[in-house]
Amino acid sequence: MKTLLVCEYREGKLLDSSYELVAFAERLGAEKALVIIGSEPEAPKVNGKVYVAAAATYGEYNPDLHKKLVLEAVQRENPDYIVFLHSSYGWDLAPRVAAALKAGQVSEVVGIVDGKLEVGFCNAKLRRIVSAKSARTVVTIQAGAFSFTGEATGTPQIEKLDTTAASSVEFIGYEPAEAKDVDLTRAEVIVSAGRGIGKKDNVPVIAALAKALGGELGASRPVVDSGWVEHSHQVGTTGQSVSPKLYVACGISGAIQHLAGMKKSDFVVAINKDKDAPIGEIADVLVVADVMQFVPAMTAKLMK
Amino acid sequence: MLVVACIKQVPDTTQVQIDPVTNTLVREGIPFIVNPYDTHALEESLRLKDKFGFRVVAMSMGPPNAEATLRKAMAAGVDEAILLSDRVFGGADTLATSNVLSAAITRLNKTEPVGIVFCGKQTIDGDTAQVGPGIATRLGFTQLTLVDRIINLDLSRKVIRVRRKLEGRHEIVEAPLPVMITVVRELNRPRYPKVPMRLESANSEVKVWNNEVLKLDVNKIGLKGSPTWVSRIFSPEREKGEIIGDGINDPVGTAHLLVDKLRSKDLLAL
Repeated sequence: MKTLLVCEYREGKLLDSSYELVAFAERLGAEKALVIIGSEPEAPKVNGKVYVAAAATYGEYNPDLHKKLVLEAVQRENPDYIVFLHSSYGWDLAPRVAAALKAGQVSEVVGIVDGKLEVGFCNAKLRRIVSAKSARTVVTIQAGAFSFTGEATGTPQIEKLDTTAASSVEFIGYEPAEAKDVDLTRAEVIVSAGRGIGKKDNVPVIAALAKALGGELGASRPVVDSGWVEHSHQVGTTGQSVSPKLYVACGISGAIQHLAGMKKSDFVVAINKDKDAPIGEIADVLVVADVMQFVPAMTAKLMK
Repeated sequence: MLVVACIKQVPDTTQVQIDPVTNTLVREGIPFIVNPYDTHALEESLRLKDKFGFRVVAMSMGPPNAEATLRKAMAAGVDEAILLSDRVFGGADTLATSNVLSAAITRLNKTEPVGIVFCGKQTIDGDTAQVGPGIATRLGFTQLTLVDRIINLDLSRKVIRVRRKLEGRHEIVEAPLPVMITVVRELNRPRYPKVPMRLESANSEVKVWNNEVLKLDVNKIGLKGSPTWVSRIFSPEREKGEIIGDGINDPVGTAHLLVDKLRSKDLLAL
């Protein structure tokens, strides 16, 4: 069995998550060859064959060109699995490759069970085992699901890839992610402050974590009533009912009115010094800590 | 020019429960909803209709009861709703599904050219994120995924400029029509149908196209046309209420554990 691993490269650097592809191949017990496409890409430090497509025009994502390069490597390697990260890059490119190869695609794989692919289902509440009967299978793997524990010290055997293809899409430019309006109902991440943060001066510490997670600041009613945070941020029966993918409750004990407004969140993290606080009953993960010690440490880790 | 919004009826996954004894999915009584991402695809189609006067067709493949989903689209203001329903379409994976949708769009294209096909970026019940791209490839439409803003539609040059949501930044690209666009939630806020339209939609016709209409090779649709299959569904180990690390004595180490945990759940960089 053989895998072709499509590494990822952004702003001049190989993404560390590319090594997760190697971990996937190892878990599957499969041979591997790698592909990397970009302007002067740095090859991953692994033993084995690495196809490098290095040219200025490959730097920005040109889907037609990237597809053709991956297909070229597929032709040379004849892999059973073509594996991408489940990122915006893999999201866009994997189905193009699958369609070109008439291959089945299994997306966002989280594990391997008896040599078969395990994926989340129904908002990750369930899992399912998916198999493919096509000659090749295109796979995307969930970020962080396969951790690479070895050291990246191998010596790649580099082979050059080169092709040309007309692009259907014209690249205009990049824009940085901007600050969003406060509309908690549509936020995918919310970090909320409760009375446990102690005082109004500590609100920016919670807001900084929200920003580091790419989310919005929320608040419990007592915090809003005290005038620490504006009402538009309030979560609960007298504020907004929210259903983000990630809800982080900082110093919120979990009054029933608050829980009613956020219990539809997919994943709840509670940070509280009381392990028996009601929020712990609906939290997926509980951190028992002093909020004002823990939150800055978490923000610092995320910003690194 | 015709705009097509592909929508799917899905179980409301926030209400999906597991039978604690048999460890299987409890199917009874779970309400069906329009896949949330598809409501944004539908809304954007309607905005283009409001602005340019395009005709909008909502399309769904599913069992006969998926008609309810298309009625909601009619109440929201689409001009035509088509349900692709036939026993032979059943059991389809994303590849087989995109074969059926593409055939139906090709059929529409014969009477009026289709300029834009909108799909949600993924569905909440399957999460394969492959149907839209599959349609694009089969129809030869330009594929634009993860779109969070339509910047400009230039009908004289027949090009569309959009913004795509990537990790920590956006990419702006321009592509010639026709295009297939998959949308993210930030694109718009779906409208609520007005009451008179809801009443009207209760009586309006949802067209049903079966395989006698589409005449697809049965080896390319349904279970037979699906290269992937699901051999088992199960409930993951319950991790609720897990206490991580020792936040009192080691806040920094615990912060690292939590960040790793969130990364493993794909909850960073949302």
